[in-house]
Amino acid sequence: MITFEKVSKRYPDGTVAVDELDLHCETGKVTVLVGTSGSGKTTTMRMINRMVDPTAGRILLDGEDIARRDPVRLRRGMGYVIQQAGLFPHRTVVDNIATVLVLLGARRRAARLQALELMDRVGLDRSMAKRYPYQLSGGQQQRVGVARALASDPPVLLMDEPFSAVDPVVRADLQNELLRLQADLAKTIVFVTHDIDEAIRVGDRVAVFRTGGQLVQVDTPDRLLAAPADDFVAGFLGADRGIRRLAFATTAGLALRTPTVAVLGASAADVLAAAAQAEDRWVLVVDADRRPQGWLQADRLASETQVEKDLVQPLGHVFTPGSDSLRTALDASALSPDGRAAAVDGEGRLLGVASGSDIATAIAADLRQLERGESARHRPGR
Amino acid sequence: MSIFTDFWGWFTTGANWHGSDGIPARLSEHVQYCLLALALASAVGIPIGLLTGHFRRGGLAVTALSTAARALPTLGILYVLASYQPLAVFPVILVLAALGLPSILVNTYTGVVQADPDAVDAARGMGMRPSQVLLRVELPSALPLIWLGIRLAAFQVVSTATIAAFVSLGGLGNYIRFGLATRDYPQVVGGAVLTVVLALLSLLVVSLAARLTVSKGIRARS
Amino acid sequence: MDWGWVSDHLDLVGHYTGRNAYLGLIAVAFGFLVSLPLGLLCARYRWLYAPISALATALYAIPSLAFFVVLLDFTGLQDRTIIIPLTLYTLSVLVPAVVDGLTNVPEHVRQAATAMGFGPLRRLLQVELPLSIPVLIAGLRVATVSSISLVSVGSLLGDSFGGLGYFFTRGYQIDYPTEIWTGVIAVVVLALAADLVLVAVGRLLTPWVRRSPRTVIRRRTARAQARAA
Repeated sequence: MITFEKVSKRYPDGTVAVDELDLHCETGKVTVLVGTSGSGKTTTMRMINRMVDPTAGRILLDGEDIARRDPVRLRRGMGYVIQQAGLFPHRTVVDNIATVLVLLGARRRAARLQALELMDRVGLDRSMAKRYPYQLSGGQQQRVGVARALASDPPVLLMDEPFSAVDPVVRADLQNELLRLQADLAKTIVFVTHDIDEAIRVGDRVAVFRTGGQLVQVDTPDRLLAAPADDFVAGFLGADRGIRRLAFATTAGLALRTPTVAVLGASAADVLAAAAQAEDRWVLVVDADRRPQGWLQADRLASETQVEKDLVQPLGHVFTPGSDSLRTALDASALSPDGRAAAVDGEGRLLGVASGSDIATAIAADLRQLERGESARHRPGR
Repeated sequence: MSIFTDFWGWFTTGANWHGSDGIPARLSEHVQYCLLALALASAVGIPIGLLTGHFRRGGLAVTALSTAARALPTLGILYVLASYQPLAVFPVILVLAALGLPSILVNTYTGVVQADPDAVDAARGMGMRPSQVLLRVELPSALPLIWLGIRLAAFQVVSTATIAAFVSLGGLGNYIRFGLATRDYPQVVGGAVLTVVLALLSLLVVSLAARLTVSKGIRARS
Repeated sequence: MDWGWVSDHLDLVGHYTGRNAYLGLIAVAFGFLVSLPLGLLCARYRWLYAPISALATALYAIPSLAFFVVLLDFTGLQDRTIIIPLTLYTLSVLVPAVVDGLTNVPEHVRQAATAMGFGPLRRLLQVELPLSIPVLIAGLRVATVSSISLVSVGSLLGDSFGGLGYFFTRGYQIDYPTEIWTGVIAVVVLALAADLVLVAVGRLLTPWVRRSPRTVIRRRTARAQARAA
């Protein structure tokens, strides 16, 4: 783990890049440093591998003051990924990845073999191995950069805006890769970004910095969204944080009701009768395997003989209680013509529905739980 | 033009190909002087260029040194040296090396300075020692410019080495000197043409060397 | 080194310094006048650059003395016999300098100018040339220093044609080192002075350039300046 104790960085011309920072980055977790330009987040990260040295305070790595360690040896034990990848233009992809291994004394052949395995790990096709960086796209270059950083299996990974230079689609891909890798490897990651959505997506804990190098708030993403420390953080988080926060709320305890169900091909008259009895104005249409197809206004069945596919209004999407978040459920409800979200199991078969008010109740309960500091938080899949 | 037909006559005269004043002999003297001078200039210029470029210090000194070296009148220096003692080969080599030094020094320095700063930052960040950063990252990136410097220096040295003849040291300049003295203009032109051809050849050789040693990944970005 | 001799002959030194400066600077001036349009053409019509560059390179390879001598037949023994070869020599530095300077103007700046309604000539004069100045000055510095130094070879043709070379040729002939040293030192001083003047002129003409010696040089600009070296 990494601990900052009253760390400051002050430059000769008076600029304060980092102002008396106290921060703890937990082992095996992703700590995101996020903030405006000039907020010292990159400087803070670069102090961990001593690319920059503090003017006051100290930084501890697993309890030991890093100022006592040889910077070069320190860096060889950490992965370092930067925005432009910084690949060596004169070396092939495989040699780029093998760099740290060779630096640590491995023989070139062995290093290259390991590098090839790492390419698989980060989702790079092995056919790229002999190519040069100039032949790769931005996203591919970044993957090489990450592979290179992971090569020596360092316990700590430092990432400085690694995905900022690629387009949003590639960025989402890379973020997913990172989450997948982290699930496997559980490294201590310090990740710098200026994008709050990326921070929330990727971070186990998010540290928000203000211009002038001041740490304003450190919290889990959902506590951050629920309770920003001040107006600056609230503004930085942006609008509809209440809804974005719901990505962390579980649907596990959501009460489900039974709707009037109409199987495709069933008699219209039967369904109409069932709906009238249940006082349901809308009917949920399912297929033979009980997979939801869409909603149908009961009245429309009056002039029909059978329940047909083309009568049905689109479903939007469904949610799976337990694995999907309340945000997904809320969104499903918002897309449904009568506000009821369809809940399905792992195979897509109907379990029940949740009404808008059921969801609202669940949201309020979750917020109360959060404030009380309880409950396992839901890690968003979407 | 009569001058060039005269040259051809001189060039194809069998007698001119034999003996210590023959074309092969003079050519080889000339080439030897140039190679030695270039080796010396590189041995001095490349290390200094690498170090000043890596530490980003002394850029001003590099430019100043180069300008001063370029300002030195080669003929004058040669005369100075010749007036103190019968001229040995080494002082001539020294003067020619001084002529080639600016190109090599400035280009090496610039080559190192313009290496991709992100690659250099990544190299430091992954734990390369400064010497490793210089040799494994900055130098390969600087190679195209270093070869350019050597190419320019070679060209200049080959052209100017004709001056060695004026202090009785042989080389292709002999044809110019004695041609002038005996008003044998075809000989003068012969010396000049051979020098030009050799100079152009040197460009080719260095370009080839560059092609062979510069990484494909770097060449493509140039 | 007999400084007494120097102080006795200051007016002579002054005279030849003037001659040297005249011959060298005229050559550079003409060289620039020729290189500017040539370079412009090469920048516009890329296919011209290779042959013209090759020609300039070949010219530069001709040993100066041989060049002077060959010209004697055509021009007789006059100033122009020295000036013409020197001018042609500068082409190998100045034409690439003009071309590199122009091609180094960032494309987005050029396009912004066009979009604002700058015609080609105005764009050239008000945007492209000013932005090329650093590279042009770098080339001019090399050309000037080299020319001033090279003038001295002309002394082998005659007293008044070598500028300060007069001193080293005479010094060598009468075996008087002081005179040789005087010539050499004076050439170096003159060349460095001219270099400094050009640096100052460059700074004056480009108030927008950042002065930090540690400024990261953009790759292509660096390459252009190095090529001029």
